[in-house]
Amino acid sequence: VTPFDIVEPRSVKEAIALIDPDDADVRAIAGGTALMLLMKAGVFRPRRLISLRKFGDSLSGIATTPSGELRIGAMTSLSAVEHSPHVLRHAPVIGRTMRRLSNVRVRNVATIGGALAHADPHMDLPPVLIALGASVSVAGTSGERTVLVEDLLTGYYETALAKNELITDVRIPAQAASRAVYCKVTTGSADDWPALGVAVALVAEGSTVKSARLVASAATTKAIRLTAAEEALIGSTADDAALKAVAEAAAEEVDILADVRGSASYKRELLRVYVVRAIRAAVQANGVPS
Amino acid sequence: MATTNAPDARVGHQVGRSLPRLEAREKVSGRAEYTHLMQLPGMLHAKIFRSTVAHGRIKSVDTSAARQVPGVYAVYASEDVLKVIPDPFYGPAFHDQPILAVGKVHYVGEPVAVVLAADPHIAEQAVQQIVADYEELPAVFDEVEAAENRTLVHEELRPAGTFADLKHLKGRKSTNIALDFRLRRGDVEKAFASAAHVFEHTFRTQKVLHLALEPYASIADFRDDGVTIYSAAQGPSFVRTEIARLLGWPENRVRIKVPYVGGGYGGKLYIKMEALATAMSMLARRPVKVALTMEEQFYTITKHPATLRIKSGLDQEGRIVARKCEVWWNGGAYADIGPRVTQKSGFTASGPYDIDNVSIDSYALYTNLTPAGALRGFGIPQLVWAYESHTDMIARALKRDPLAFRKQNLLRNGRPQATGTILKDAAIEKVLDRVADRLKWNQPFTRGTGVVRRGRGLAVALKAVIAPTTSVAIVNIAGDGSTTLYCGTVDMGQGSDTAMAQIVGEVLNVPAESVRIVPRDTDVTPYDMGTLGSRSLFHMGHAVRLAAEEAGAKVAALRRELSEPEGSNAPLADLFRKKYGMQAGNIVGTGTYKPDYIPPDDSGLTTNATPFWMVAGSGVEVEVDTQTGHVRIARLINVADVGNPINPKIVETQLSGAALMQLGFSMFEKMHIDGGQVTNASLADYKIPGMNDVPLVMENETVDSIQENGPFGAKGVGELATFGVSPAIANAIDDAVGVRLTELPMTPEAVFRALRANANQPLGGE
Repeated sequence: VTPFDIVEPRSVKEAIALIDPDDADVRAIAGGTALMLLMKAGVFRPRRLISLRKFGDSLSGIATTPSGELRIGAMTSLSAVEHSPHVLRHAPVIGRTMRRLSNVRVRNVATIGGALAHADPHMDLPPVLIALGASVSVAGTSGERTVLVEDLLTGYYETALAKNELITDVRIPAQAASRAVYCKVTTGSADDWPALGVAVALVAEGSTVKSARLVASAATTKAIRLTAAEEALIGSTADDAALKAVAEAAAEEVDILADVRGSASYKRELLRVYVVRAIRAAVQANGVPS
Repeated sequence: MATTNAPDARVGHQVGRSLPRLEAREKVSGRAEYTHLMQLPGMLHAKIFRSTVAHGRIKSVDTSAARQVPGVYAVYASEDVLKVIPDPFYGPAFHDQPILAVGKVHYVGEPVAVVLAADPHIAEQAVQQIVADYEELPAVFDEVEAAENRTLVHEELRPAGTFADLKHLKGRKSTNIALDFRLRRGDVEKAFASAAHVFEHTFRTQKVLHLALEPYASIADFRDDGVTIYSAAQGPSFVRTEIARLLGWPENRVRIKVPYVGGGYGGKLYIKMEALATAMSMLARRPVKVALTMEEQFYTITKHPATLRIKSGLDQEGRIVARKCEVWWNGGAYADIGPRVTQKSGFTASGPYDIDNVSIDSYALYTNLTPAGALRGFGIPQLVWAYESHTDMIARALKRDPLAFRKQNLLRNGRPQATGTILKDAAIEKVLDRVADRLKWNQPFTRGTGVVRRGRGLAVALKAVIAPTTSVAIVNIAGDGSTTLYCGTVDMGQGSDTAMAQIVGEVLNVPAESVRIVPRDTDVTPYDMGTLGSRSLFHMGHAVRLAAEEAGAKVAALRRELSEPEGSNAPLADLFRKKYGMQAGNIVGTGTYKPDYIPPDDSGLTTNATPFWMVAGSGVEVEVDTQTGHVRIARLINVADVGNPINPKIVETQLSGAALMQLGFSMFEKMHIDGGQVTNASLADYKIPGMNDVPLVMENETVDSIQENGPFGAKGVGELATFGVSPAIANAIDDAVGVRLTELPMTPEAVFRALRANANQPLGGE
């Protein structure tokens, strides 16, 4: 790590003012678990970091609004999210996902806002949040705006955020009868980054699927909705033939990247298999498949 | 070094106690000192500028911008090193590795220049300012291709002269072969010609590395009258000899101090950062620390990738009558200890079987990759991967039970091993039987019919411990009767200090906890070959035993001199007081141990290849997901012959640790290499097993055994459980789903591709 300055503003407004959108060497840092890796690898050499820690408390916390929406402050640590009774009641899939998200040391430090702003396609939360229909509040020089998580992620480590915009909270709508499952598929050690992530949230009446959101991640440049697969699924009874069609649609519709975790053709096979396993688990609502 | 008396500290019967590790408290409470964390007054940090090409002539190295960075003390390249060390090449087998690249670079990551600064971050920043220009040369990465000698890594071979059997290679040109070991026993070709069945298979292993949690670190403090080096080193005596040679000094002006070492696994043997730190301190006239990052370990030393071809001939009854083994070891750009791996592992390349006709050719190859050396097994895990997979493949092809087939052909005590040395105290059959018993091998086994299929497999292995090597120890009893041990074995986490204290305690009848072990310091601790190859408990254990016995004999003599009545147990302190009139004096015992050994002849044959045989086996049960290729290790059994265990608890943790390390090498660890460049050189992309990778059920066991010539019947354990893991898993996968993997690692994708190929629906795209 090469030397750099660190500035500790006292508010979101101050922090935004300190970031020069044209200067790539100045960036905001929240938990820093991902950014530090880039810095240690020499991929990112900041001149100045804007720490969000000093006012982190004002952006932390988890609450359910009267309308049934779950709001999580952007600076809330992943372990606080993991253990929150609000989260476990509202979206138990998040609690299950957290158990295999990196490790407890990272979860204690990393923040939910940072996890989204970083936009590494291998992260576990973005596909889950997209499946749940979540959005983020974004503060910038000209006020606040709301962006769906699926629109926030625009590419490989790329987001719709301007350099001087900060995520302030994450909002997860009421899930009603929706059931969600996330499958983290690793091909290396158990705690490796996934080779593939598949998230699904669906509403089923009997065995008929009424609505569904299917998301793939890790093998793709970003967490991405599988819209053709969703179309094949909605209205079906999720039987073998229907699921085969869903798997085919999913495998057809996304670009898959090869890396040290597997070839593109292999990961495509994994996608076929795990889309089906995730849907079956959600329909049965018995938690996480193997 | 902690000498706290545990509540259960007791006198007598120290051998066989599961005494907790003596240094455990210091380590878990964060008090233990490691080189990586040490600071000396006025110390500079060195950061290394590394080659970005795999093979090239250095046209220029521009360090001017780096020198301008505020806070930089100096920037040095090989021309500077040559001013203080005219022949800056080192290595245990060959003097081939330069302190900084001279004229040419031979692998991506090779050190080319160094920045020194008081602030390591400034040094790192300045390294980014260095620009090198290379004339790229053709490079060779594959070991079999390297053996064809079309692309040469080095122009001329430079054997060190340390090993007599390498002398004939001196000055040899136009070759990448750093050593060719051959063994010829009987007549394999004749036996193949008359065999009822002949099988031939080829296996491969990948490039993996040690990844100790404490990366390589050395600090050198050079003065005109001597140099002191603090180092995370497994063999301080060798470091001293080699640094003295580089400096042209007598050894007594070179002092190597080794604090606690955060894991070694063979990586921290011989010279690693010590020569570079010394050269930098000579130039800077200040203490210099070279402490690598985790990522830099990928460019320091690795395990040998290998290609192994093995051919067996069998008679009508299923007896193996001939076996031919050809092994190509990918040694990387510098030999390190590769030639020794090549030769010593060659002794047992044909496995733990009784075969009359054996032919072994083992080649150490230079390639343009990170150098390869010893990694917890000295080549044996690669060989076992081949011969225990091959053995299973034969059994399955002949529709023989893999256990019965092995037992039919097993080498038994009293029979000559491939080298001609008679097997002794090697519980091969007992180990194999215990693995089979634990697996309930002879009972029905449900393989399943659904998506997940179950299978089981086993493997057994033999190693000849490396010989000949020497250990020296000193036991010193002070005027109050307290005992101190001086021994050069480095406790890098394997628990050797505790075991050595138990041996002293056993001989002198004192609690092991009361024995102080002096930290490794070559000014104080006597010679030892190195902490390697599971040799320490046997060799140093003997030296420690002899030293303690000599001290004990001197105590007895003192009792006689002082006319103590026969059978008196007057405290030692009283004896000293009686002799010297006050609390004064010492009793010093020394012990030196070097086992007998006869070097192999031109046919690789010898009647004394090793002082002891190492034996281990593994059994596994797997569950294979036929839709994805994922393999779950449901059960992992490791059984070993360690003779009489000095400390059963430490033996068990050595077995489980070694097995888990090999599990990573078996299932997923791999350095991905593209054009000589490691593309996953970080812990983000190169994963080692964690707690969640531990098999649901893991069982570790030692069989009843006594090593007759061992200290208290004991022998080494450190590497044992690495041997059988990989082939046992491959055999179990075959048992579950009928596909055979011949290349490591056995990733889900590899299994999946094999399943699809087997079903005549091969998966396209690599």
